This record gives sequence, C-alpha cells and structure tokens, in this order.
Amino acid sequence: MSDNKTQTQPIPGLPHVKSPGAPQVKTRILNAESVAEIQKKMARYPVRKSAVLPALTVAYRQVGYLNDEIYAELAAITEIPKLQLAEAATFYTMFPKKPRGKHLIMVCDNISCALCGADNLLRYLEQKLEIKVGETTKDNLFTLQIAECLAGCSAAPMMQVNHEYHENLTREKVDALIDGWRKEG
Amino acid sequence: MSDTATKDQKTTPAVEMVSLTIDGRPISVKKGATVLDACRQENIPVPTFCWHPKLRSVGACRMCYVEIEKFPKLMVSCATEAMNDMVVLTDSEKCREGRKAIIEFILLDHPLDCPTCDKGGECDLQDNAFEYGLSDDTRFAFRKARKIRDKNSTFDDLQIGPEMVRNQNRCILCYKCVRANEEAFGEYDIGAYQRGHNTEIDAAPGGQVASLYSGNLVEICPVGALTSSDWRYKIRVWNTQTVPSIDPYHADGANLTLWKDATKVHRATSRMNDDTDDGWISDIARYGYQIATSERRIKAPLVNKNGAMVEVSWEEALGVISRRFKEVKESQGAPCLAGVVSPNLDLKTLHAFNKLFRGALGSNNVDYRSDYSNLPTDADSTYGFMASRSFSIDAVASSDVIFVVGSNLIREHPNVHLKTRRAIFEKLSWLYTANPIVTKSADCSTDEMIYNLGTDEVFLNGVTLSLIQQGLADKEVDTGKIETLLIPNTLEKCAETCGVSVERINECAKRLANSKSPTLIAGELVSNSIARENIAKSFYNVALLLGIVQGKRGQAAVLAKAANSKGAEALGLFPEISATQTATLKNQFQSFPELAGANWDAMLSGAQGEDIKAMLIFGANPVQTGADYNHIKKSLESLDFLVVADLKETPTTALADVVLPLSSFAEYDGSFTNLEGRTQDFCAGMKRIGASLPGYEALNRIAQSLGFSLYADLSSLQDEVSELLDSYNAPERKHFLMESHFQAPPAPQENSLPLFAGDALHHFGHWTEMCHSLLEFNPEAALEISADLASRLDIQTGDSVRVLCDRGDKGNKGEKLILKALVSDILEGDTLLASHNFAAKPVNCFTSRDSRVSYVRIEKIEKQ
Amino acid sequence: MNKLKTISRTDDYVVLSRESRPVPDPGVWGMLRTTVVAIPIGFITVFKHLFRKSVTIEYPFKKRPMFPRYRGLHYLERYEDGTERCVCCGLCAAACPADAIYMEPMENENGERLAKVYEINMIRCIFCGFCEEACPEEAIFLGQEYEFATDSRDGFIYNKEKLLVTHPRPENTLKKMWRKVRRFF
Repeated sequence: MSDNKTQTQPIPGLPHVKSPGAPQVKTRILNAESVAEIQKKMARYPVRKSAVLPALTVAYRQVGYLNDEIYAELAAITEIPKLQLAEAATFYTMFPKKPRGKHLIMVCDNISCALCGADNLLRYLEQKLEIKVGETTKDNLFTLQIAECLAGCSAAPMMQVNHEYHENLTREKVDALIDGWRKEG
Repeated sequence: MSDTATKDQKTTPAVEMVSLTIDGRPISVKKGATVLDACRQENIPVPTFCWHPKLRSVGACRMCYVEIEKFPKLMVSCATEAMNDMVVLTDSEKCREGRKAIIEFILLDHPLDCPTCDKGGECDLQDNAFEYGLSDDTRFAFRKARKIRDKNSTFDDLQIGPEMVRNQNRCILCYKCVRANEEAFGEYDIGAYQRGHNTEIDAAPGGQVASLYSGNLVEICPVGALTSSDWRYKIRVWNTQTVPSIDPYHADGANLTLWKDATKVHRATSRMNDDTDDGWISDIARYGYQIATSERRIKAPLVNKNGAMVEVSWEEALGVISRRFKEVKESQGAPCLAGVVSPNLDLKTLHAFNKLFRGALGSNNVDYRSDYSNLPTDADSTYGFMASRSFSIDAVASSDVIFVVGSNLIREHPNVHLKTRRAIFEKLSWLYTANPIVTKSADCSTDEMIYNLGTDEVFLNGVTLSLIQQGLADKEVDTGKIETLLIPNTLEKCAETCGVSVERINECAKRLANSKSPTLIAGELVSNSIARENIAKSFYNVALLLGIVQGKRGQAAVLAKAANSKGAEALGLFPEISATQTATLKNQFQSFPELAGANWDAMLSGAQGEDIKAMLIFGANPVQTGADYNHIKKSLESLDFLVVADLKETPTTALADVVLPLSSFAEYDGSFTNLEGRTQDFCAGMKRIGASLPGYEALNRIAQSLGFSLYADLSSLQDEVSELLDSYNAPERKHFLMESHFQAPPAPQENSLPLFAGDALHHFGHWTEMCHSLLEFNPEAALEISADLASRLDIQTGDSVRVLCDRGDKGNKGEKLILKALVSDILEGDTLLASHNFAAKPVNCFTSRDSRVSYVRIEKIEKQ
Repeated sequence: MNKLKTISRTDDYVVLSRESRPVPDPGVWGMLRTTVVAIPIGFITVFKHLFRKSVTIEYPFKKRPMFPRYRGLHYLERYEDGTERCVCCGLCAAACPADAIYMEPMENENGERLAKVYEINMIRCIFCGFCEEACPEEAIFLGQEYEFATDSRDGFIYNKEKLLVTHPRPENTLKKMWRKVRRFF
C-alpha cells in the first residue's frame, strides 16, 4: 500500500480508487513501451474512466486486435474494470476482436462504387483470395472487409488498403496489387 | 471538488422550492427535483421503464414523455428538472401519441412470448403496452402467429450467473441492471456489449454475475430479459399472494415480500423501506426463504434410542425431556441446567426461552452468543456499552465521514454496505476503512488502512493519540493522563506496531474530527476477537474524543450480527443483565433465580466439569459455528442430557439425546429487532413443515410437560415482549477515557498463514446450507486465498488444498481438512478465509479460544 | 280468449292459472267427426310418414355431425412436427370461470416451457370455451366430442395424455378449415 494516496476524493461514477501512481504490473502481451505510454496518457485525465479509449488504442496499435486477455492486462494497468474496457471496445467496431491479416482490404460498396461495379470487384476479390468478406487468408496476409463510403466517389470503384487508396479499380489492377503484396510476403 | 466547497454546500440547510403546474394542479417541489419526481409526489401516473427511484436518470427508454408548455417537443420527465412556472401536461393527446410510438418501437423488436415469459403478469412492458400502446394503426407489421420457436429470435437463453438467465430477445435496453450494478452495488460483472440494434447484456468477460446483490438485477428488470433460475417456470404470478416478511439472517432487517400460493412460498423479493434497505436485498435474504421448503428439514422429533435417532411423536419426546430435566433438577439443582438460543429466532421465542429457564426452571444459565468465545462477564463491559449504542442505518447514507474498523462489511451487513456506497456517491462522503484483511467494502474508500493482525486496538489507540496530539479532541474530555492509559502510548509506536503510517492515521483523525456527522462502525472482527473488551475500550476512546458518545454528533456502534441479536440483548438473554432488566423480568416471571448465571464459556467449561448437566440448545449450532470445534464437541458430549431444536440435522444435533423440529421464519408470525433496535414484524407464508413447531410453541410444550405454562395466549406473550423492549435502556456511563493495554501476540511459526473462519459471501450461519440457490453460488466450504499467494503456491480456483494446524501445545494440533481453493480478487497478502457454513467441513477446528489469530499451513493436493 | 285470473310469483317462475268453464255438448256431428272421420285421417298421416325420410336418428348407432362451433370435449393441439403447442402459460386456467383447469409447468431439455401436469376437471367444466378464447398458443380447443360419461369421478379428470391429440393425427378437413378461419381474424 502506498502512502501518497490519502487525498483522493471519490468521484461519482468512478469505481475503484485503490492505489494510484504507477503500479508494477506484470504483462504478458503488452510490452513495456505500451504500458509506459498508457500510464503517461492516464495522467492526463482527472477521471480514470476517461482513459478507456486511449488505453484501448495503445493496446490495439501494439497487438493489432483486442481480446479478453488484453482487457485483463489493461484493467491491471489502468484499474478500470475489465468490464468497462470490454464494453467500450465492443462498442467501436473498428477495434478488431481477432487477429487481422497484414493487409486490410476495405472495399467501398456505397452507391457510387456500387454503380461502377463494386459488387463484381468484391466477388472477384473473394474468389482470388479464397475467403469471404470479414475473413482472413490462411497465410495471414489479407483481411477482406466492406467499408461505407470512403469519399473516393470520383474514382469509383475503389478500396482502401492499410490507409492507402487504390482507385479506378479493374480486375487487372487488383491482380497486380495482390500479386505485388504476395511477393512482398 | 475541494473540501471547503463540499462543506459550504452542506452548511446551507434552507431548501429552495420550485412551484409548477402539473395537469392544472399547482405543485411545489425541492429545487433540483425532476418533473417525474414532482408527478410522483402528487401520485400522477407517468409510465417508465428505465427509471428507478434509487438510481440516477438516464432517459434511455423515453417512456415518461410529458408535454411542457413552450417546449417545442415532448420532454422526458425523468431527465427534465422542474422549474418555476412550468406548465406540464401528463395525459394530453400529444403525450399519449408519443408514448404510443415508443411502445410501438419497443414492441417492434420484442418477441411476443409472454406465455412462456416468467415476467408475464408483472411486466412493465405488458402493463404500459396495455395502457398506452393499444392501437390498430401501427406502421409496422407485427407477427401475429406466436410460437415458442420464434424464427426471429436471435439469442437463446443464456445462463449468465448462478441464478440468472438472460433472454436478450426481450431486452429493451433500459440499462437498469448495468446502472444498478455499478451505481448502487459497486459491482462490475454485468455490462452492455456491442451497440445499437446489436447491443447485448452479458456478464463480464470470462465471468459470471455472481455478486451478493445479483438477485436485485432480476427484480428491477422491467421485462423478462433477466429472470431468475429459481423462479423459472415455477408458478404464474397471478396465482400467488404476497405476505410481508423480514430478512431472517442479517441484523440489517431488510424487508422482504414472500410470494406464496396455497401450498408453499415460491420466492422472496424486496419491499422498499428507505430506513433499512432502499429496496435492495442481498441474495442471502432473497434465496434464504428456501430453508422453509428444503428437503433437508427435520419433520418430526427424534429421540436417541441406543445410539440411533428414531422419529417419535411430540408427546414421547416431551416425556423424555421432562423426565430427564426433572431428574437433573432434583438431583443436581436448577443451576445444572443451561440453555443456548440462536439470535436468528424471533422475539417471542427468545422471550419464551428466557421465561422457561429463568421463570420456570430457575436457572440463570442462558446465552445467545454461542458463536463467540471469551465473552465479557461484566454487566457494564465497554463492549456491551458500545454494542448497545443507538445506530441508524439510514443516517449512514447522510453522514459525511464513515469510519469502518474490523468489519468485512459486505458479508456482515449487506445493507449498511450499500448505504455506505450511497453516502459516497450521493454526498461525496469520506470512507476510511481499517481492517486486518482487504475487504470489498474498501473498494471506494478514501484510504484503506490494513493494520497488522491482532493489532486492532493499537490502530485505534493511534487514532486516539493523533486526535489528542493534533488538538482535535473534544475539549470537555480530560486527556491529561492519556500516556498512562494506553500501551503503546505514543503515536509513533502505535503506527509502528500496527503497520499504518503516522501520516495516514493523522489524516484519518483530522477528517473524523472535522466531520459534522461521522459514523463509526466496528464489526465482527471486533466482536469475534478474544480481545474484544480491549478493542471496544479503544473504540470507545475514539468515539468519546469525537464527542459521539456524549451525543454531540454522529453515531458509533459495534454492530450486532444476527437478525435478532439486538432483540436478544434487549430481552436479557444473557447472564450478566443489568439491574433494571432484572427488575422488569422479575416483575414478569413469578420467580427469578438469585444465583448468577453462567455464560456460554462457563457453560462449556462447566459441562466438562460437574457444574452443567443438561442443556437445551435452541436453533443454534455451536459445534459448527462456534470457536474451537473440539472443545465445544467435548463439552457437549460430556453432558448428561442434551436437547437440540433445529430446522435441519447439524453436527450439534448429532450429539443430542432429543432433537426437536423447529419451524422456519416463513411458517409463523413473529418479529425481529434489527441492529438499530427497530422491531419489524413478519408473517407466515405457508403451513408448518411436518410436525415442526415455532420456537415459542415448542418451548411452551416443554414447559407444560414440566408442569409450567409460559403463556395463556400469544397476545400476552407479545405484551410481555413489548414491555421489555419498551423498558429497555442502553447502559449509561460517565464519560472518561478507558485504559487499553496491548499485549503483543506470540510470533507465528514460519510458513504458517493466518486463517479466519466465517461466513462465505453467499451464506449466513448454518441454515443457508439448505438453500439450493445459494449453493449455486457457494456449493461447498471454500478456502479463499489471495491471487498473490495462489500464484506463489501454484493454486487455482477449484484445486483441493489440505489445511493443517500443527501448533505445538494446543488442543487442535494435528487437525486437518481438505478444502476447495477459491482465488479471491479482493483478498491481498497471506490471509486465508474459510467458510464455516458447511457441516461437512468444520473449519472451526482451526480456531482456538485462547489466541487472537489462528495460524495454519496449507498444501496443494496434486490431482491424480 | 281465456282470461288470466291470478298470477302467483315464486322466486323462480311464474304460475298462470286459468278460469275454469263447463265443456259444451259436442252434438251428433261432433261425435261423428271425432270418431268415424278422424281415425282414417290419422292412419293416412301415419302411413304417409312411413315412406318418408325419418326425422330422428338411431342415436347410439348413428350420430349427427355437430356444428363447427359446438363446444364439446377439449383437446390439446400439436405442431406439425408433433411437439405440444401448450406452453403452460396458465391463461386458460386464469380465464376459466369454473376453476376446472390445473397445471404445473416444467422445462424441457431445450429450455422451453412445457406442461408437466395439465388437468381439466370435466365435472366442473361448463364448456363455455373461454379457455379456447384465452389460449395465446392456439393449443386448446373445444372439439365435437360429447360422449364422455364414465362411472367414476376420477374418469372425469382429463390429464395431458388424454387431452393431447394423437400424432400423426387423422386429417380433419373441418378443423383445418376452422384454423384457417381463426387465422383470418
């Protein structure tokens, strides 16, 4: 028990004020840098619960996905109940809950792209990668997802791969891209 | 918020009022109240789903629409603050339209499976749909055909807790369960996952909803999304009647409603009483009614015939009792008879017991404290004084500093624990806990002080000295000779001995001294300690220096544990009663024995000697729950004659010559006096099981067989009880500091771990073993160990652990038991907790009557 | 017309008594009309009916079909796959004005609600059809059967086995039609 904490006044909505400061937690998945970063971000917030999203983001950046074990480790670091971390993480669909491939392919299927043949493109990708939408290839290279409008309507159909736009897509272009990434490994 | 700001808020008592008009009626409410509060104050019906009187409003369901003049749209009344000159309409055409639309949207995604739903008949959605939602012009096509196997049902029933079934299809996402769990109970084991249409209520990842208050979540669910396994498909609610009842275990006196039909009680729910329970009850109270319907009940009197217990009639059993009691009385004299009664029995039984022993048999040997050892023999003990201080559970919620010492509050007083939480979250109060072990109640404490084992009084002395040193003590108290009164006598020495730093003690003392209405709570770790008198003196000193004993502010008490402990105290069911109590009792009983009586300790040693020959144990089970299994067992075995009355067969009934069947609290009318001294009546919910009798009736039959009569009719007995309760005055004394000398306990042997035997989280005493729902939570005697210790010894939850006691000179040397390990996420350090609620595992074989802390060794048993 | 002389009213019925008067002398023609003329007319009527289709039926050997909405003995319906429709919700028992229905629910292996005990006391039953009206699962119906007299009181207590229709049930077009009609409403 540390002695420097006698002044903490409980704040409504905040559960558990046990020992602030930097507790020594053993983590299996999260590395020391991530733990240090989370603890640094924690210091910015007067109410501990506010640090839920920054903590989840740090963990996601390092690991690439979130699961129960990671929530447990984050809970030990941040002293936010595991439950609230899991609630927040499941609320945001862009935190993946299982491992993703190296290349995240997000194909826009909104109106402009759909009119320009996004459905065909998607079916072609499924066929080429031998997976369905939402799945990851066996070699953990590609994950295929559908995205809402990515504001690339002027060059439809388009897809976003790892934060990069690939526009005016044709089968040949897609072949070239995928084969290129496959060669990269 | 700074401390001064908090204080300023609290020093302005004048309540500002707001006046508004609702449905043409002028109404004035406190400033800050919502429009819904105003409506409820005037009994104007406003439908709600997500609103609960004890939770903060979220406005999630939007069912409480009202029309307010000058607001362009309908407003949710639960989240709109009442303001001056508002004109509110609650039943206008626009309102009804709005509510109808809400019902329409809710029903859009709600299965029409009311026939199979347990909530059917008491469902808010049913009621509100009937009242506000009936229409033929819905914009959506509802499925008319209703089938059990609904194709649109996305989720199957899921068991998310030992006693909780979730049906997500029915959920209307009011978040009441999640909010109550976090706000009111401080538990984080149920949450809402995903979002929007996909939102799902589920247990915490990898866990179950198994908190002590989980039953309340089922009760407040406005639809049948959360249902209880116990009540599942049992009986329709319209086929039941309700009777009022009281929690028969804890001293909090939580109010219950029993739901019964013609044959038996089917469930218990809460009955909101702001003074005691705020409408939240513990699962022990909720599922504890099952002792009435359990299969394990004794149905007829049993008599030991040549070593075998044989079922007999009451007449035969009473014949044996009267013959043997008369023999003992005539040959050895009345003081050879002794009686022990359980404080979980009702007031009439307790009084009848007293009357039988003191009035009829002429023996002063009665006691109700069979769970404790080394009891005070002095009529004006400081422990007794502190235990009889007046205490108000509701005042806990409004006190600004709460100080808990030596109490695992959640297990001993679930409702006081909740009031503590309410104080913190509503009033921003300060909670200081001081315990030798880490407890759940300390979750939201400002400072959780963990003092060394067996140094309770040293810590309190530290607070005393700190108050004096800082000049914060009550000026009228003479603090001149304090150095001579206390050992150790300086703050530094105290801090060193108890292991809490001087700064933390000073901080705590300062906060207590600056408080307007402090609440000081001492609990079972004080009551159960053999140094209780010393600790009580230290506790008294703190309370005295804060001006609490003098009645200047706040409250301080050692809290009673069992449902009727306070009643037993007021009725004088212990030998060393005060002169006024003796006078009242003498007045009521025709005769009163002159000889001073033996308390529980003296009874045990007397039984091993020649002083006690026959004993009547009523409802208590000391062999299982008292301190030192072997000593008690040996004493009871050496008695000539032992009569035990109980609900079920226990280790104590196994030693008895005659066993009498008792009725449970659900089978007769009676009353309990809770820890505040509040006497609350409960009613019978069902017929008595078998030949069992309520305690007072069984005692009257025993008395009649001995040639006495305890009461002509029950009302006369009730009158006597009322007279005693009315005339009872808590002991008074002059206000001066008491001396409290600490003797350091011998150092423990190497590798030995301190062990506390007590109640499991979901059990109380020895009766709850009969409740199958509670066994779902805690199925067997468990050894709770901290995660730290568990990882060191490589123990996981569910592993078998051998517990050994190998202290050299004590009687319990060589005792060993195999218990199931339960890794607790609350406990820290090396302390072990073992549950004494299971007859199969007498963990009290490790506790002893002459040392403050019991030490054991544990070994993991490798799986074969 | 006969004059009503007195009306004496008891609790349950009204008694009308007529004023008595002397019977007039029929005369010779009158005698002839009631003997010689009336007897052949009687024979003619009898023989005429002898060759017509009979109005009555030989009841125990022949039965008249009941009207579709006749309320006879109850039966419990099944789904097409043979599972019971009744979920033991208790609404029929709640609706029953004669308190003739007793039931106890249970949970089957799929977690569904079913009746463990379902009994109708046919001595108490007044065949009002409220149970059929109340049933939300379309499980209980009042059928066409009306012959269920037995010589013991126990025989009138119909349990679930007696009430449930056999599976597969013989096709009954009338009932099918009736179900369609009910659905329509």
